[in-house]
Amino acid sequence: MISHRLLLLCMLPMLWCCDGLPGKPDPANRYIRPTEVTNFDTLYSMNCSGCHGAEGKLGPAVPLADPMYLALASPIHIEEITRNGVAGTTMPAFAIEAGGTLTDQQIAIIARGLSTRWGQPQSAEVVAAAPPLAVSQEGPPGDPERGAAHFRTFCGSCHGPEGRGTARAGSIVEPPYLGLVSNQNLRTNTIIGRRDLGMPDWRQVGDRPMRPQEVTDIVAWLASQRVPRPSSSMAN
Amino acid sequence: MKIFASIYQWLDDRLALGRLYDQSIGHRIPASASSWFYVFGSATLACLAIQLVTGTCLALVYVPSPEFAYASIEYLDYTQPFGWLLRGLHFWGSNFMVALVTIHMIQVFLFGAYKYPRELTWVVGSTLFLCVIAMAFTGQGLRFDQDGYWGLEIVMSILGRIPFVGMEATHLVQGSPIISGATLSRFFTIHVFVVPAVIISLLVIHIRLVLLMGISEYPVAGKKIDPETYREDYEKLVERTGERLMPEGGGKDLVFTALILTAIVTCAVVIGPKIPNGPADPSLIHTVPRPDFYFLSLFAVFALMPPYMESFSIVYLLPLSIVILFAVPFISRGQERHWSKRPGAIITVVLVMTSLVILAYEGLTSPWSPHMNAWSGVPIQPQFVQGRTPLEHVGATIVQGKQCRNCHSIDGTGGKRGPDLSGVATRLTYNQLVRQVLQGDGNMPAFGRHLSPYEVTALVSFLHTLHPENEPPSQNSAPEAAPPLSTDPY
Repeated sequence: MISHRLLLLCMLPMLWCCDGLPGKPDPANRYIRPTEVTNFDTLYSMNCSGCHGAEGKLGPAVPLADPMYLALASPIHIEEITRNGVAGTTMPAFAIEAGGTLTDQQIAIIARGLSTRWGQPQSAEVVAAAPPLAVSQEGPPGDPERGAAHFRTFCGSCHGPEGRGTARAGSIVEPPYLGLVSNQNLRTNTIIGRRDLGMPDWRQVGDRPMRPQEVTDIVAWLASQRVPRPSSSMAN
Repeated sequence: MKIFASIYQWLDDRLALGRLYDQSIGHRIPASASSWFYVFGSATLACLAIQLVTGTCLALVYVPSPEFAYASIEYLDYTQPFGWLLRGLHFWGSNFMVALVTIHMIQVFLFGAYKYPRELTWVVGSTLFLCVIAMAFTGQGLRFDQDGYWGLEIVMSILGRIPFVGMEATHLVQGSPIISGATLSRFFTIHVFVVPAVIISLLVIHIRLVLLMGISEYPVAGKKIDPETYREDYEKLVERTGERLMPEGGGKDLVFTALILTAIVTCAVVIGPKIPNGPADPSLIHTVPRPDFYFLSLFAVFALMPPYMESFSIVYLLPLSIVILFAVPFISRGQERHWSKRPGAIITVVLVMTSLVILAYEGLTSPWSPHMNAWSGVPIQPQFVQGRTPLEHVGATIVQGKQCRNCHSIDGTGGKRGPDLSGVATRLTYNQLVRQVLQGDGNMPAFGRHLSPYEVTALVSFLHTLHPENEPPSQNSAPEAAPPLSTDPY
């Protein structure tokens, strides 16, 4: 009997060892349905990194890892864009009810997770003095003529006085470009810049920061450069 | 010890154990048959034993219903103590069994052991091989994950191609118009009752034939088989040089079998079972189903062959290849057994195995399958973003948004169905890119009706930047007579 007990005692550590064997499936690798994923990193890498970059920067679309962008853009605004996309642009709708694949909960996780992952505290004074990021109907409308002048002042050194591009930065007034981006996108780029690609934000473009009305005027001028969209490639 | 001897004598008196030993594992074999080349059959038998034991244990937990099949596999993996080990042993046991039975057949083929008087042993062995493949396939289906589900779908599609009775055959196996609980019940029955019963029955016949005809002697170059004198010569050889299979002749079998069992346990313990890759839900589109390794080559053949060849291959070539397998002893009737005198046999094995390995590699990488998540989950690499104009940036988002990336990789990342786009500008001029996007070509669909002129311009502007730094983009050989195509609208 004693030898049997000893044998059992010896086997107990072996059983414990079996539990830690490398072949035992790790629950972390268990398959999860796409609609049940709640990890921000997984959601971001599956849905956003294609256009916004692997680390939220150096992608062709708005750099979501820019701390200033995250300080100025509200999560509700990001949620809204993620949910419904931006009509007429290349930003698609991701909500299931809009034809996408993400649940409301997942969209909220992405919108809030951006700030948690890449947000950094910004000076309250800078944020308060920054031009509002969202396009607004309130306040005086933009003046394209004044906008052209402001563009030459603040943007002309890189994009050229007419916006047709220089060796430092490409054209900003080509009809296909203006036809495929929203005024919000123009405003966001004007304010936030693309610091990951070397384009300064509104504070660094000239001798002084751009004023909110100057930003509005520049966007109005850029919008005025649009031409009517042709209807279909095959039709032409 | 005395009591054990008494028990043995009592049993021997009634069961004739001594005679059974003499006629089975104690029978005499030619000394030359005690070779390392002759160990694969017994190792396959050991794998079968593992499969029977672990399969019985798994059947205690597995629930063959669409609601619980996948869940019971997950229960085994994550909840049931040692359930994952059981699954691992069963999974690796099946992998080794398929590999060993294939090697066993190749050895028999190259050694000419299927020739007179062992033709029927080959035919029964070939049937056993098909049964092992059937077990592997039905077992894969029972996981009822994405791989299993789409594997079942493919087999149902194959059955549906049978002339005249395709629909009936599909319904018989499927049990309902779609893959459902009835299908799973049928596959469970086939996997657990029908095929194992056939395997055991055929195995009895196979071993009976091996015992009756004797294990073939090691082939000698130039020594021919003469049906008139072979049996007499074989008996003389056994009488002259023979030894008992156990304990004298089977030492190598025991050593090799022990190695195989160790390898199976090691693989199960270190690598573990195959983790199911999502429930059998056809609405889950972000999946790349892929069969277990033994079907990868078949998977590749069906994926790569042109559509007009599918029915012909399924209806004629597949059955024909099985008929040829069975007919090997009746086609290859030469009297020479040694491989050095049968170059055709060596060429056949080399060609078949090379084809299978290459096709299996293709199946493993399955470059024809679109990478469904690439458009949103595979970033455009920074080097293709930096230094581009705003329009080209928008073009890059169109490459992603229109899901070009699901089929086309850029610098190696993304789908592999179409060519890599990293250097596309060196292959196509601006206007050729516009035409390619609008009209498509070959497997590439036409996007003309899905893209606005602005989108085409942005897209092509970006694509036109994709060339190495030291290699300029393609230019028309003749000077441009008109502005680039897509600038027409404005």
